Formats: sequence, structure tokens, C-alpha cells
Amino acid sequence: MAALIAKLALPAPADTAYAETRFVHVLRKPLQLRGELHYGGPGVLGKRVDAPYRETTNIANGEVEVQREGKSARKFSLERAPELEALLSSFSALLGGDAAGLEHNFTIALSRSDAYWQLTLTPRAAALSRHLRDIVVDGRDTEVRCVTLHEGDGDSSVMRLATLAAASVSEPTPATLAALCRGSAR
Amino acid sequence: MRLLVLAGWLIAIAVLALGVRHMLVVSSDLRSFMPPAQTADQKLLLDQIGEGPASRLLLLDISGEPVLNEHVAGGHLAPERLAALSRALALALKNDARFVRVLNGEGDLAALDPKLLPYRFLLSPTLDGAQFDAAYLRDQLQQRIEDLASPAASLLKPMLARDPTGEILILAQRWTPAHTPQLCAGVWCDKQGGALLLVETRAAAFDPSAQEAAIAALRDAYAALPDAGAARLIISGPGYFSVLAATRTRAEAEWLSALGTAGFVLLLLFAYRSATLLLLAALPIASGALAGVVATALVFGPIHGITLAFGFTLLGVAQEYPIRLFSHRRAGASAQESLRGVWPLLRLAIVSACIAYVAFFASGVPGLQQLATFTIVGLLVAGAATRWLLPRVLPAQFQDVAEARWLERLRARLDALPRLRWVPWTLLLLALVLLFVAPTPLWQNDLAALTPVPAELLKREGELRGALGAPDVRYLLVLEAPSDDGVLALSEKISAQADAWIAQGKVDDVELPSRYLPSLATQRARQAKLPERAALAQALTEAQRDSEFEPGLFAPFLDDVDAARALPLLTPQVFATSLIGGRLGAMLSARDGEWLGIATLSGVHDPDAIASIAATTNGAARLLDLKAASESLVASYRARIGVALLVALVLLSLAVALAFRDATRAWHVIAPMSLATLLALALLRAGGVSLSLFHLVALTLAAGLGLHYALFFERQVDDPAEARRTLHATIICVLSAVLVFGLLAASSVPVLRAIGATVALGVGFHFCLSTIMARNSQQRPCDSLPRP
Repeated sequence: MAALIAKLALPAPADTAYAETRFVHVLRKPLQLRGELHYGGPGVLGKRVDAPYRETTNIANGEVEVQREGKSARKFSLERAPELEALLSSFSALLGGDAAGLEHNFTIALSRSDAYWQLTLTPRAAALSRHLRDIVVDGRDTEVRCVTLHEGDGDSSVMRLATLAAASVSEPTPATLAALCRGSAR
Repeated sequence: MRLLVLAGWLIAIAVLALGVRHMLVVSSDLRSFMPPAQTADQKLLLDQIGEGPASRLLLLDISGEPVLNEHVAGGHLAPERLAALSRALALALKNDARFVRVLNGEGDLAALDPKLLPYRFLLSPTLDGAQFDAAYLRDQLQQRIEDLASPAASLLKPMLARDPTGEILILAQRWTPAHTPQLCAGVWCDKQGGALLLVETRAAAFDPSAQEAAIAALRDAYAALPDAGAARLIISGPGYFSVLAATRTRAEAEWLSALGTAGFVLLLLFAYRSATLLLLAALPIASGALAGVVATALVFGPIHGITLAFGFTLLGVAQEYPIRLFSHRRAGASAQESLRGVWPLLRLAIVSACIAYVAFFASGVPGLQQLATFTIVGLLVAGAATRWLLPRVLPAQFQDVAEARWLERLRARLDALPRLRWVPWTLLLLALVLLFVAPTPLWQNDLAALTPVPAELLKREGELRGALGAPDVRYLLVLEAPSDDGVLALSEKISAQADAWIAQGKVDDVELPSRYLPSLATQRARQAKLPERAALAQALTEAQRDSEFEPGLFAPFLDDVDAARALPLLTPQVFATSLIGGRLGAMLSARDGEWLGIATLSGVHDPDAIASIAATTNGAARLLDLKAASESLVASYRARIGVALLVALVLLSLAVALAFRDATRAWHVIAPMSLATLLALALLRAGGVSLSLFHLVALTLAAGLGLHYALFFERQVDDPAEARRTLHATIICVLSAVLVFGLLAASSVPVLRAIGATVALGVGFHFCLSTIMARNSQQRPCDSLPRP
């Protein structure tokens, strides 16, 4: 498993397109976002939203800066939001292929079927698991296809990466997306 | 008979001691030793010393340095363990009445009390520039969608339905201090990973004994934690420093006094060769000290620690009384008869010293009045005991000191000295020149310089203060208005200026009262802009028309706005029940029909720029420099002491002149005393010493001793043996004073050094000048007669 994670490592800096679908209970329809993720090495992450609106989030040195179109930048420290920090550091560890870093915050389970694999990351700390039930990472060979967050309140977010980012999905549901990520919808 | 008197005396001393034990309440609040405040700044200073939040903060660092190896070997264990220690310590101190609050970074300090949530529309500046209309709400809802898509969605979601306009977040950002420490495992920590805490004591920083109790409780609470041994508790802050200074001064004073006492005992043993005499010599001064304490306690109640310390120093004059008695005993006469010869002089010395101390009453400083009461009663009782009790309990056997060979030779040599009439005038001139060319400022106004904090501790204090973002202890912004609401309005008026200062880097943060609570007028204006429920519901429906939010989701928002429209405006008193309101409450205070707001400043880089606020607000808002105010207070204090001492000198001279009814003789006594005091002063100044209160008190003591030397040297005696006895007594007195105070002069604590060096120098000068100037000229022919 550690070997698999190590193979996922992206050479920093790396940029990859994503398509994200968020299922939020206060919204009638899921939110669909497109944009690009940036990995600039350990602890340095960027997320750009291109559609349906433009927003850039940069995370470096424990500081988060959110820049929305036509608004002044908002900055806050990750130390003010320890749950978010755990999530982002894990994300950074995943992109950096750092299995030990992941295991600091999560217990990791691995399942495989042919070339497809699925990592399930469950938070160790109770404080974090209140907000985040688990993170499911789907992939094929050495490529990450999807990162799915299951939040504590039942909401979820599916982020499709690389080859899957371009796929168009009409009327997505958590189930159809999960099937797509797992490769069973071929 | 002798034993009966002794027993009675000892019983009286024991009764006094018992009384002291019952009555003595020592206070250590420095304010009772300060003059009444004259200026508004001085008044504020005294308040700030007593109640100022910044000065009552202790900064704690639970340092994990001893577990460094474990940290390296075991990975991530140390931060969690330090955090656990921080939590456990905070919990242990929470219910301790000695502490007002304990902060370790846990819990959201900037959160609005849930009970007050509808007030957020009145507290947040949103409505100053916006209306809750469809256009504004549509924009806000779009931003909330974007929030839901952001990485922080899970944190923002819970309040979404109730607060779609984001006021809670706006207030949290407004109320979060500009600089707070980073968090490690959920609690504040420094760069080395040590857990940081802020503790506010109930006791004032300048009440060392109460601070000492608080710090001891703090250490005990820490030591009782199960994992305490794994880390180290480091304490810093003004209160800690005052305790440190007091402890260090006390420790050094104690061992130097012990050494001095041992030397004094040896000296007396050598001089009188009797252990009994030695013990008896202690009785008058012990009686005087106890009586002084009882009298002061009866008049004033609690006695200040400084009164006791200085009082015992000044009472040192009384140690001369038994020595005079012992040295003047002569063969063939009873102790009483021997004493009768010198008693008029001794009585004159005692009475004139007491008259001089009366001048302290005029100073208006309660501490000095206590000191005068203590010293006057102590001197009178010690004198009376020497006159009427001590002679009755002396052993019949004694050795006439006049028979000592060395004394005879010394007396002859002194008498043979030419009377150098030009010497005093030359010395006077020299002293004046030295005083004039002295290289340093005349006065030491900075009291802290007398009990300095080691530089390494100050450095750590600075680091901790910076890391914790704790407010500056020197500067405060003071806002003055007729009402608490007026203070808030003033605070709103200058908040734009304060933001500009921060932006220009003149100061890191200004914590204005209006940051937490707007004035009533501002609240009223915001409240008036809140739409009626129906109008708001319609605007919301319109804003929501093409949004993805579930219909009806924002009903809690409609409820809150509706509630806020009818709310009575929030006053500081009502707000005070919440955590953040408590912080505001600490910033506001009423005094003399005026309301004061204290805004704390952090990281002041340009005090002059901030001080200019006084000009733009007609003085309603001004920068208070606590250091300058305390220095001006000390200066006015010193001026009062200086005047008191001058009056004392005049009174003393008058008393001596009246007693002698002879101006020439009075001159022989007063001239050497005055010149010696001036010389001691000049030499201190030439050595670069800036004067403080302690020097003045020490000079007074030396002058009191000098008066004795001069009086006894001036004494007209026909009997050379009696003259030798006088010389003997004076030499013993001088040696003992130089010994005891010379040791203090060797101290590393500046206060002790100031007292020791001044008295030792003074006594030396007084002795030398008395031998030159006060010797009675009529004595010489008589003394030069061949002895039978």
C-alpha cells in the first residue's frame, strides 16, 4: 500500500484539471465546478475554479488566501481551522506520495480489482471525524482518478481528476459518480 | 533588684512582641507609599498599577526542552503532551480565586454568545453601507454558494441558514486579535513548540506579596500535574519580576545583615569583653522597634513593608544609646551616675532627631507618615529604656574603657592635630564643584532601575509578549467622555485613524472599545435599517429565485432580523455577561463623574504619531505613557521628601541651638553635620550615582548618626578620662555603622548598595569632620596637663 501511494507522487510543481461535484443538503441541485489543481510541493496547494465562477485559493505556509473575482483577497490561517489543516495536509501528502504523512491523520484501507484500486482514509482524531467521515481515493495503476470526501453531515464531494476530469456527467448522483470513479461504469 | 527589673523588662518586651504578632498586618501595595496623584495621568497610573489588565498578566511557557531527545526519537508525542499539560494547568487554575482568567488558545474567544446572536446586525458594520434588499441578498447568496464549494465548506455550513449574510464571520474576524500565537495540538505554542498561556492575576503587579502567593499557587498547580516532570514551566511578566526583585533583595539583605550582625557582635565583645553586656545592648533597640510597630499599627492599621524595612534602618541610630552608656561607665560611680553626665547630650540627640522626623508628617505621603511614627516612637522608647532601665540591669563588674592604652594614645594624637580651619572651607568648595560637574543626571526617576531585572529574563519576556500578542505595558490610549456611551462614540470616531496607524506600521494593533460594541447611536442607525419581516421575506424570495438554495431554508434568518428590530440596544452592562462583553467591561471605568475607556496597544513603533491624537480630539483621547507618568510621580514624591528633609535639618538645628542657647556651640555641631552630608552627596554624585529616595533616607540616617558624633565631640569635659570615654564610644559607634552599612554597599542589588554606600560614606565623613571641627578648643590646655 505504501508502495502504491509512493508511486502516486507527482513531480512538483504539477497542475491537473479537475471536475468537482458537491452534494450539499441545503441545495436543490449538486454544485458542479471545473478548474485546475496545483501542487507546488509539500504544504503548497492551489485550487482554481474556472466555472461556474472564478475563484483562486492558494495555500502555503499554513496561510489560506481566497481570491474571488471583483473582491479583495481574504486570508486566514490554517491554525484557526485545525480540521481543514488536517484535510489539506493529507491532500498534500497524497499528491506527494507520502504514506507516513497520510497515516499520521488517517487509518488507510486498500482494495483492488484488476488495475483499479481504492484507498479509504478514515480520520484518527474524533475532532476531525465529526466533520469528515472518510476520504475515498480511486485510481487506476499509478493514476488518481477521483477523490471523494464524505462529510460528517452526509454531504459529499466528488473530485474527478486527470482523464476523468473531461468526462461530462449529466444529472450526477453519488452512486453514478462512485461507479464512474471505480471504473465499473465502463 | 537587678534581676527583678530585668525580668520585668523582658516580660514587657514579650508582651509587646505578642501585641505585634496580633496587630501586625503588613501591606505591600506600593500605592500607599506614593504621594497623592496630582495629574490625571498620575491618577490613571495608580489605577493602572492597581487594576490595569496589562500589568496583571503573567506569561507562561510550558517548555518541552528537557524532552527534546524523546521528541526526536518518538516522533509526534511531545506537542500532544505539552498541550495536555496546558489544558490541565488551565483547568486547575480556572477555579482559583487568585486568577481572573486563564487563556491557552482553546475555545473561540471571538465568538458571539449564542444568546446574543440576533444582536449581530447591530454589532456588525455591514448595514452601515448596505441594505438588506434583493440585490444585496442575491450577491450574498452567491457568495455562500461559493463558500459551500470552498475547502472551508464544512466549517461554514452549520450557520448558513441562520446567517446567510455572514455577520457571525465578520464579527469573529473583527474580534480576533491581530496577533495570536500559532496552535500546536489545539493550544497556543511558540516556535520551539512550548505551550503558551496567559494568566491574569487578581493581585496587582506591584503588590509583591499577593503576586508571590499567586505565583506560588501557579507553581503548585503545575507541579501537581501528573506529567509535570516532562516539561518546564517558565513564568514571565511584570508581577513575576516584582516578586523576583523582592525575593532577591530580601535574600541578599538577610545574609548581609547576618554578616553585619556577626561583625557587630565581635566588635562589642572586643570593646567591652562581656557577653552579658552584648545581650543587654540589644534590649533598648528591641523595645524601641516593638513599641514603634505597635504604635504605628495602632495609628495606621496595616503597616507597609517599606515602613518596616526603612524604619529598622533609621532606628539603627538607637544602637548608639547603650554604647554611650557602656563606654561612659567610670570607676567609683554607679551606672546611673555615670550616665547622668552624658544624658543631657543623649537626650538632646534623641529629641532633636524626633523633631526632625516630624517633618515627614508634612509630606502627605501615608507611607512616610508611618515611617515617622515608627521611628519617633522607636527612638523615644529606646532612649528611655537606655536611660531608666538599662543602668539598673547592668552587672556591677565592668572595665573602665578610659584605662585602655591605645585610647589614650589616640586621644593624644587627635588633640595634637593642628586645627585646620581652612580644611572645612576647602572641602565645602570641593563638594560644590563635584556636585556641579557630576557626570550623570541628578535624580534616578526610574524605580525599576533600582531592582533591575536580569537582561536575559527581559529578553525572554519580550519574546513571550511578542508571541502571545500581549498588550504593551508602557503605552495606553485613554478615551475620556461624560458617559460610557460617549466613550464608545469617541472610540468609533478615532477608529479610522487607528486603522491608518496599523496600516502605516506605527503600531501593530489598537484594541478600541468600539471594536466590541458600537455606540447606541450607531446601533440605533443600524437597527433602523433592518427591514420588516414581510419586506425582507419578499427580497429574499426574489434573491433566491434562480439560486439553488432550498426554499424556506433561511427562515431562521428572518426570525433573527425580526427579533433584532425590537431588541433594546445593547449596553456595556448587558454585554458584560458574555465573554467578549467581559473584555469590553475591563476597558471601561467610571471615575469622578467621567467615563474612561482604556484601549490597549500592541507593538508601539511610533508613540509620537499616536500621541498626536490628543490634538485632533481636544484631549478627549490621548496616549498615556505609564513610564513617564510613574517617573513624574516619583519626581513629585522625591520633591516632597527633599522638602521634608530640608525642614528636618532646619528643625534639628533650631533644637540644638535652643538647647545650647549658644550660637557658636550650635555651629560647632551643625556645621560638621551639614558639611559631611554635603560631602557624602558630592562623592556619590562624583561617582556617577543618580539619587533616589533610598539615598535620601540613607543620608538622613547618616546625618542622625553624625549629630551624635558632633554633639559628643563638642561636649565640654574637664576630665581627660571622660574625654577618652567619649572617644571610645564614638569609635565603637562609627566602626559598627561602617561595618554594617559597608557590607550592604558590597551588595549586588542597587537598592541595598545605595543605602549601604551612602550611610558608610556619610558616617566616615561625619566622624572625620567632627574630629576636626567640633573639638572643643577649651579642652586642649586642660588635656595637655601632665597626668598625675
